[in-house]
Amino acid sequence: MAATDTTAPESPAGLLDRLTGNRRLRPVVQVLLPAAVLVVALLLIPFVFTRVHPYTMADGVQLVLLATAALGLVPLTGYAGQVSLGQAAFYGTGAYATAILTVTFHQSPLLGLLVGAVAAGLLAWLLGRALFRAAGHYLTLATIAVGLVLGVVVKQLGITGGAEGLSGLPPLSFGGVQILGDVNFFYVAAGVLVVASLVVQRMCRSQLGTTLLAISDSPVAAQSGGVDPAPQKRFAFVVAAVCSAVAGSLYALWSGFVDASTLDLNLSLQLLIIATVGGRRSVFGATVGAFVVVSLARIAKEWLPDVSSHAGGQVEIIAYGLALILVLRLLPRGIIGALAAWLNRLSASKSAE
Amino acid sequence: MSALLQYVATGVTVGSAYALVGLGIALIAQVTGVVNFAQGQFVMLAGLLFAVLEEHDVPAAPAALAALAATVLVGLLLERLVLPRKAAGRTDQAIMLTIGASIVIEGLAFVAVGTEPHFASPFTAGGALHFGGASIDRQYLWVVGIALVIMVTLWLLLTRTRLGWAMRATAMDADAARLSGISPSRMSLLVFVAAAALGAIGGIVLAPLQSPDASVGIGLGLKGFAAAVIGGLDRPAGAVAGGLAVGIVEALASGYLPSSQSGYADGIAYAVLLVALIVRPTGLLRRVAGERV
Repeated sequence: MAATDTTAPESPAGLLDRLTGNRRLRPVVQVLLPAAVLVVALLLIPFVFTRVHPYTMADGVQLVLLATAALGLVPLTGYAGQVSLGQAAFYGTGAYATAILTVTFHQSPLLGLLVGAVAAGLLAWLLGRALFRAAGHYLTLATIAVGLVLGVVVKQLGITGGAEGLSGLPPLSFGGVQILGDVNFFYVAAGVLVVASLVVQRMCRSQLGTTLLAISDSPVAAQSGGVDPAPQKRFAFVVAAVCSAVAGSLYALWSGFVDASTLDLNLSLQLLIIATVGGRRSVFGATVGAFVVVSLARIAKEWLPDVSSHAGGQVEIIAYGLALILVLRLLPRGIIGALAAWLNRLSASKSAE
Repeated sequence: MSALLQYVATGVTVGSAYALVGLGIALIAQVTGVVNFAQGQFVMLAGLLFAVLEEHDVPAAPAALAALAATVLVGLLLERLVLPRKAAGRTDQAIMLTIGASIVIEGLAFVAVGTEPHFASPFTAGGALHFGGASIDRQYLWVVGIALVIMVTLWLLLTRTRLGWAMRATAMDADAARLSGISPSRMSLLVFVAAAALGAIGGIVLAPLQSPDASVGIGLGLKGFAAAVIGGLDRPAGAVAGGLAVGIVEALASGYLPSSQSGYADGIAYAVLLVALIVRPTGLLRRVAGERV
């Protein structure tokens, strides 16, 4: 592993080191504890976001949707070292598939969500088949190109509603029970986020995570160990696509409206920043990163009319870019990684006294 | 027939500018292994600066020099301040850092000059020239001429000077080059400066033809990537051929697409990039690929 990624202190052993060194306690510290913190934090959001000034409940819904969409980047970027700048292509695929099925073909929202996830997964699988044949960083380029091409195509086709997009989607419903209102929708989406986080974390902690790390650290060593990098990277890419597609479908059902902005490059950038700022190697980092990005966006919207007369949204983008650069240079393991290292050091220095 | 000639002339012109952008991407990728996603912003920055300076009545030559100098400075700062000193082995991190730099540059440009396009006048006044039914804008000749001069200079630099030898040696084998006394850090700085200059020249010569605004960087960068990927990055001639191909395909598509389908023209260059990547993924970064197999 490269020196930049090993920020954990060596001696004396901190609390987290000692706890994770204990075989029985390790799953508690690495899975149950963060999951409990995530659930509590998500349950607090409706109370905080409806009371604290710049936030609204819509921000809360966006937060969980963005976190879900970015989740798949943990195995793909954090473990396999593949940078995708086209997650919006899959987000948009999910959103459009759901919109077309529910509005044009009058199918149930759940079927729309399922078909969207399958379509995005299939698209990622096909792209992965072609792109992972060779080593290198084609994925970043190809994913940008896919997003931009899809963005042009959906504005032209009749079935996707052209430049106006598709509107009039039914609300999400389970067996006749409709999910109405931002708060109710938030709980459903937060449930999806928690389940997806645990599933992705299970994957990262399995053989797959180790294999992906090995491929990213040294493809030559991984290959001589009998690992073919292509199918492993492809699988991580499909998982990332499905996560984004589910979030896109949920977004479509929440807003009742889909247009080409769901395929926007800026969304892909946001998702990459969410995964990186929160912590590329931690599924819980996605939620932390989404909180940072939603807060930046909200603060920018709230304050910018005073700062700059034009290009309001662009200062927000500068903030995203700076956040990405600063985190990568100063906290390569993201906020979660830095927090864990800090807790560890703190407890280590206490026990040393 | 004259329509075809017209489209090809337009395609060759913008394609020459794309080739310069692609050359910068290829140089950086070959020598440092980093895919520089901020390359398109160099093009935007120089074109926009040139146009804005001209709008403030600065004569063309000093405006072009100032735009070039400012862009080279940005390239230098990007390499020294943003990229990690030990980029080797962590190219995914370096790529994300260039993405971050790219959006910061774009955002700053938006804040500084706003969202409107800016207009630069052609380098020389005068009506279009006519060849076989096609009308050739005088600026076309400037673009192609300057691109040719730059390409020949770069080729001479890479093949005839010690510096060029050192760059090519680093591209072939960074460790061996270091053992022979070539500083990889110095080479990295030099290729970023060279790439910024190449992108800047592309942006300045295109500015009178495609009025730049702060958002054009990503699109121009991707066209440069398409040029570099099609060319295969092995030799500078590859990126030149790739740039011309992208320019001509784009010009033909926007010329011949029926008006009901004209919206697709925007996506043509990206579709070309995608097809090139899917059909020939060994094109880009052959050095890195070779090292990893």
